[in-house]
Amino acid sequence: MFQRRILLCCLAAALAFNGTYDPLIVTAQSQADPEIKLPLVDKSVRFAIIGDNGNASRPQYEVAKQMERFRQKVHFDFVLMLGDNLYGRKSPADYKSKFETPYKDLLDAGVKFYASLGNHDDPNERFYKPFNMNGQRYYTFRKGDAAFFALDSTYMDSAQLEWLDKELGKANNTQWKLCYFHHPLYSDARHGPDLDLRARIEPIFKKYGVNVVLSGHEHVYERIVPQQGIAYFVLGNSGELRYHDLVKSPIMAKGFDTDRSFGMWEVNKDGLSFQIVSRTGETIDSGTISPLAPKT
Amino acid sequence: MKTRLLPVLIIGTVSLCAAQDKPSPTPFADFEDRVAAYMKIHKAAQSDLGGLRPTSSPEQIDAKKDSLAEGVRTKRSTAIQGDVFTPTIADEFRRVIAIDLKRRDKRIRQSIRSGEPVMAKVRVNGSYPEGLPLQTMPPSLLTTFPKLPSELDYRLVGTTLVLRDVTANLIIDFVPNAIAIH
Repeated sequence: MFQRRILLCCLAAALAFNGTYDPLIVTAQSQADPEIKLPLVDKSVRFAIIGDNGNASRPQYEVAKQMERFRQKVHFDFVLMLGDNLYGRKSPADYKSKFETPYKDLLDAGVKFYASLGNHDDPNERFYKPFNMNGQRYYTFRKGDAAFFALDSTYMDSAQLEWLDKELGKANNTQWKLCYFHHPLYSDARHGPDLDLRARIEPIFKKYGVNVVLSGHEHVYERIVPQQGIAYFVLGNSGELRYHDLVKSPIMAKGFDTDRSFGMWEVNKDGLSFQIVSRTGETIDSGTISPLAPKT
Repeated sequence: MKTRLLPVLIIGTVSLCAAQDKPSPTPFADFEDRVAAYMKIHKAAQSDLGGLRPTSSPEQIDAKKDSLAEGVRTKRSTAIQGDVFTPTIADEFRRVIAIDLKRRDKRIRQSIRSGEPVMAKVRVNGSYPEGLPLQTMPPSLLTTFPKLPSELDYRLVGTTLVLRDVTANLIIDFVPNAIAIH
């Protein structure tokens, strides 16, 4: 009992001091049952998201451990990668230390990863089978009533714009359309939004009723107040982190810049629910987006 | 004899006139021809090796990339800066970029800034530096430039515009001082 109290005190102290690694946190959290905010509706589509993860750092591995811990409750089937999947060199050893080893438990459990390319990625990663890009810089796939579009925001040329317009048009009969790519169209962190990219692709998103846009690049988590009827999320802190990088603004609905995180999503006909979890297993944001208008 | 020569003279004169009337290719048309010539080399090097297909082996991806780069280097070992971006073509790219910057200066510069600008020395037939991020290309510029085959891309390295072989990670040519810095 005494030991348990000490452990909880340490946990509280460590949580108060956000951002510093303490193995006690992970130990204590992994003993407790993870808090699940998703509705876990029967036969819903469930997936996770990570961004800016591939740096082989201890926090990357810790986030991966939390993902596996939560997966045992949520049973998500796949993970969207928001780019910067492999930082620095891309030797075979790097593929191992920056992807295969940290996510081994998930890969062994049959979880599939669907990558998009960031500015730190080599486009040849599209040939790496576990990233499920099938040799393409941009691609689409469907799960249940949701259509997913992985884009290459580092190189938005006219061929990709035409492809996006055509493929979103084909997906008009799906209830949910989710686009994911590396560079955010809205952000309150260091890099700021890519305005030129926004001017090119947001009108296409609007034309076809895209519901959710997920990006990385900024090493923080941020949920944006819905823009043009679209729910925008930035999550680029699943390995990298830029402490206190967010500057509060009127478009920021929720921000988190003191530790790493990953996200879990559940799609069903009534809504699209999300839960963002920190490296230490805390829920830092959650909510539901209705089919008509984003709300949280 | 005179009647036999007449058709020859007429054909010769018509051909000469046609040749004189044929406009010289625009810089971008010339660029596209040079890109097509490069693609013949790329395809020849690739057919010697077999294409890169999805694989679970990063070793295979690495090996194919390196072999393709080596194959291309061998086939264009005398290539120098300006072979693809001739001075006229390079000036045309500079002109187009300047016009676009004038029209959408804030948007494009902001896009470059948010895409994390990179600095490095580049050389023809050299690899794009290992581990160096790829500068994100502002979409407005890409939609103004001539379209490229999917095997190639444009990238900015500082103020230099680079033409890159994506799979081989090889620098084909570059335009120095392509974009003005304020």
